[in-house]
Amino acid sequence: MFGPRIVGENGIELRPPVLEDYKLFAVWQMEPEVTRFWGPRFTTETPENAEERFKKHLESNNSVTWSIAYQGETVGMTGLFDISWTSRDGETGIFIGRHDLYGKGIASEAVRLRMAFIWNEMNFHRAHNWIALANQGSWRANQKSGYSQIGTYPRSWFRSGEWFDEWLGEAFPRTFPADKLPSPWRDKEHPK
Amino acid sequence: MALGGIIRGKRTTLRTPVEEDLAAYSRWMADLRVRRAAGVWHEPAMPATWKERLKEQAKEQRVVLWSIEADGRLIGLARARLGSLEGPPAAYLQHFILDPEEWRKGYGWDAALALHRYFFDYLDLKRSGFELRADNVAGLRIAEKLGYTEFGRGHEVHYREGAYVDEVWLVMQREPWDERFGKTEREYVPFGTAR
Repeated sequence: MFGPRIVGENGIELRPPVLEDYKLFAVWQMEPEVTRFWGPRFTTETPENAEERFKKHLESNNSVTWSIAYQGETVGMTGLFDISWTSRDGETGIFIGRHDLYGKGIASEAVRLRMAFIWNEMNFHRAHNWIALANQGSWRANQKSGYSQIGTYPRSWFRSGEWFDEWLGEAFPRTFPADKLPSPWRDKEHPK
Repeated sequence: MALGGIIRGKRTTLRTPVEEDLAAYSRWMADLRVRRAAGVWHEPAMPATWKERLKEQAKEQRVVLWSIEADGRLIGLARARLGSLEGPPAAYLQHFILDPEEWRKGYGWDAALALHRYFFDYLDLKRSGFELRADNVAGLRIAEKLGYTEFGRGHEVHYREGAYVDEVWLVMQREPWDERFGKTEREYVPFGTAR
């Protein structure tokens, strides 16, 4: 399924993807700037089969996908994948395709909105993820919304002469910082 | 393509799965003892669905399925993803399921050892990984004996019997295999000078 629109701060929001977003995602995933920690930089995706992928994700019953928008423009995607409905657990992921916008806090805000939805609307028990240990920006963005490190997977990727380990994280509803709860959950009387 | 070939252990044999195995597969997946110990490979289903699943499995490029036998009886299955594009060449054991009626007879260890011999001595992989529920004592004991170490632990991951159980993530590098079994566990006798 696709997630609903959730408006955050600083011009950042999550919104249900449209077909054009899927075409953008495919293009971004072929760029060296974006694929340092996201491989393998080749694909079976073509503009012609974008609609098929779009429909597949839309109809999926074990994932929730959002586009991330910044100042009204799609800049990436995030979601919850491989959902186990019995354990109420899923793997989260995030991808900022506009590398010129790195460092602006877009990922942190997107993670905050995503996790608020997962805990408050899906009644999930747990979420987990794997992130390149060297991708500090990404795992710190997750930490701010309650993720903590539960392990390190050694030598996961090789890039330019270096092996990269992976940061393994998990989060629970109780680890989400209460003072960071976004609208509408923070103030149900005055939804944003 | 990805139906496994024969791997002989001392007491067990991993071999190519056939349609006749599928009724047992379905029975194991419906067994609460199996479901308590590990994740299932598909939910129980009608024979036609299982046939379709086996057909799909055969098309898998990188995930290999074996049936496990002991004394000519089907006693389990193993399923592993082989190879790695961005990391070192590796196996990832996705399912290792034994018929509960055959537990505590040493078959698990024998089949696991043979399978890892295939990974390291035949395919020359550099490491192997898998996940276990934290209360699967028998599985953890086999993993430790093989040379696996814990690299992560997910808390409250699987829900069953009214409570959550943790999950242990394990990896085994090539070195412990070489140290522990490299001299004794070989697929073939050395070629020697006949090469």
